[in-house]
Amino acid sequence: MAVLEMKGICYAYEKGRPILSNVTTEFETGKMYAVLGPSGSGKTTMLSLIGGLDIPQKGEILFDGENISQCGLACHRRSHVSLIFQSYNLIDYMTPMENVALTAKKDVLSLLLRLGLTAEEAKRNVMKLSGGQQQRVAIARALASDTPVILADEPTGNLDEDTAGKIMGILKESAHGLNKCVIVVTHSNELAAQADVVLSLKRGSLHTV
Amino acid sequence: MRIIKRAYLYVTRKKGKSILLFFILLIMATFVLTGLSTQKASQEAQKNLREALGGEFYVSVELSESNPYFRVVDDGEGALDLYTELPVTQDMINAIMEISGIEKYDASAQTLVSTNLTIFPGNVPLKGELNNKVYARTVAGTENNSFFQSGIMELAEGKHITGNESNAAVISRDMADQNNLQIGDSISLQADEEAEVKIIGIYEIRKPDPAFTSVVTYEKLENQIFIDTSALQSLFGDMPVGFYEAAFSVYDPAQLDSIMAEVKGLSAIDWRAFKVAADNQTYLDAAAPLQKLQALVSSIIWVIVLVSAVILSLILTMWGRSRIHETGVFLSLGIGKMRIIGQYLAEVLLIAVIAFGCSYFTSSAVAGRIADGLLQQGIPANEEQPDDGIDIVVKEGYGDNIEVSIKDDSALSDMPSGQDTAPEVEVSIDGAEPSTEQISVTIDFYNMLQLYLIGIIVIILSVGISSLSVMRLKPREILSKMS
Repeated sequence: MAVLEMKGICYAYEKGRPILSNVTTEFETGKMYAVLGPSGSGKTTMLSLIGGLDIPQKGEILFDGENISQCGLACHRRSHVSLIFQSYNLIDYMTPMENVALTAKKDVLSLLLRLGLTAEEAKRNVMKLSGGQQQRVAIARALASDTPVILADEPTGNLDEDTAGKIMGILKESAHGLNKCVIVVTHSNELAAQADVVLSLKRGSLHTV
Repeated sequence: MRIIKRAYLYVTRKKGKSILLFFILLIMATFVLTGLSTQKASQEAQKNLREALGGEFYVSVELSESNPYFRVVDDGEGALDLYTELPVTQDMINAIMEISGIEKYDASAQTLVSTNLTIFPGNVPLKGELNNKVYARTVAGTENNSFFQSGIMELAEGKHITGNESNAAVISRDMADQNNLQIGDSISLQADEEAEVKIIGIYEIRKPDPAFTSVVTYEKLENQIFIDTSALQSLFGDMPVGFYEAAFSVYDPAQLDSIMAEVKGLSAIDWRAFKVAADNQTYLDAAAPLQKLQALVSSIIWVIVLVSAVILSLILTMWGRSRIHETGVFLSLGIGKMRIIGQYLAEVLLIAVIAFGCSYFTSSAVAGRIADGLLQQGIPANEEQPDDGIDIVVKEGYGDNIEVSIKDDSALSDMPSGQDTAPEVEVSIDGAEPSTEQISVTIDFYNMLQLYLIGIIVIILSVGISSLSVMRLKPREILSKMS
């Protein structure tokens, strides 16, 4: 059953230049989705709309069959979806444990240890970690919130190939092992190939590849 | 994670910003607290001045055509006799004294009378009968009479006239000795009619004044005979007797207007025949510098508060721009805007609590000096105002204390003619002299409470203003700024 639905979504930054045009699709739990598309195709915009960071000009987004605006966008972001960004977006004055604790509903340290950080690294200032470690912290924060949907915007964009592969592995494991709906925006066909479903966004329309 | 925990983490991890904010808040709080404590000291000083100097109002006979009891009689020899058929009576005085806030009263009327006593001749010769007359001073009470209040005379034996006696008199020791009189003896006085009055008290002259050495017979201090209203009535038969004027002293001159309004509302008094006038000029003159100081301090406090709010808003706005990233992250995690602002507010408040507490010590160190400086701006040091009888001296060198010394010789106006000396009323605020009243510029719990209240309001405003620019953006716009 679809946990998340986009119904007839339209969005334009300028009049007459739609970036999303009547996009309709469904996302299910237990699967990892990859959204492909060139720069400026509207991938991040689509993720922002699903993530409740913005409101579509037309159409509706449903979570478990209910319009997300009914619960409220902040509520949707807090309870339904977790966001992972290319630039990690961690709070710089907090340790990894404290960053994860921002949304934690689970044991923070064990989650970080499971994602490959040591206990010492988990208590160090987050800015003193490597890019890969920071992204693991960001993923840990997303998983800690225990939301059914994880939205990742170019999560491996700043990482080397080896680390990127490991991060994609963690996300895939989260979808399959933790029954999450993971939606990853990327422009890498190679990484997209690891997803269960690959969607392509071109000229405002979404197609299954 | 709770708001307070996040705020605590920010404050403790961003030490540079926290220390800077601490010092900014400390300076602001020191100024505000200094202003508040100075304002309080000024208010206390005014209160003490009011209590020390007091205020007076007078109820006197209306000498005009509007008074239906006012009479003008031509004696046929070119002289006009002015009098009222309704003077200020003891009953009226008693009714007025019922009003709360009135400390005491004084009323007197002087009448030239003949007497069977041997009197002391004056140095200034007079023609005819006047050389054998003395003043019968009708008083509502001798204790509050200006001669006794000023210390020129002092009751040496017997008791004062209080207004409850009948045909009573208080005479001088010199006159009693010269005529072999003592308490309980009667003397004879004559005006329109002859009256026997009983001596109930004997006074002594404690402060012989040069002004009374060259006077006519009836003005000599030794010749003054104080009598009560019933004695005066006996001297004038059926004529209505009483006082031309009664002076009432109030505890607090600030209440003078309300007390006078209450007096005017007394229905038992026919106000067509009387008028009421205030005299609190002494207090007003003395309090003027302190009122100026208070007004100045109030303005300064407002300016400090406004400037503090502006500076704090600017600093927080500047810092807020560098926290757009953090705000965006919090929003993306589903943390509401109000909770984010709450965190920013809690951060400033955490630092403010400590800074405001520390300002107690910094303000204590500077408050006295600043208040002294402000006061001197309001009162030129050692300024003398001989014309209006008020000397104001600012004394220095008492640490944190302010001292204002006021010498009041306004009592001169109440003295008999020719007298040019008067007692000094000295009010010292925060002075070193043990006999004077003292007020310090001290910081108390109430000042601290005011500071925290003002500080919290300023901080809430500043945080609110500084957050506006970021918080009015949509989360997506913030995230766009982030990237």
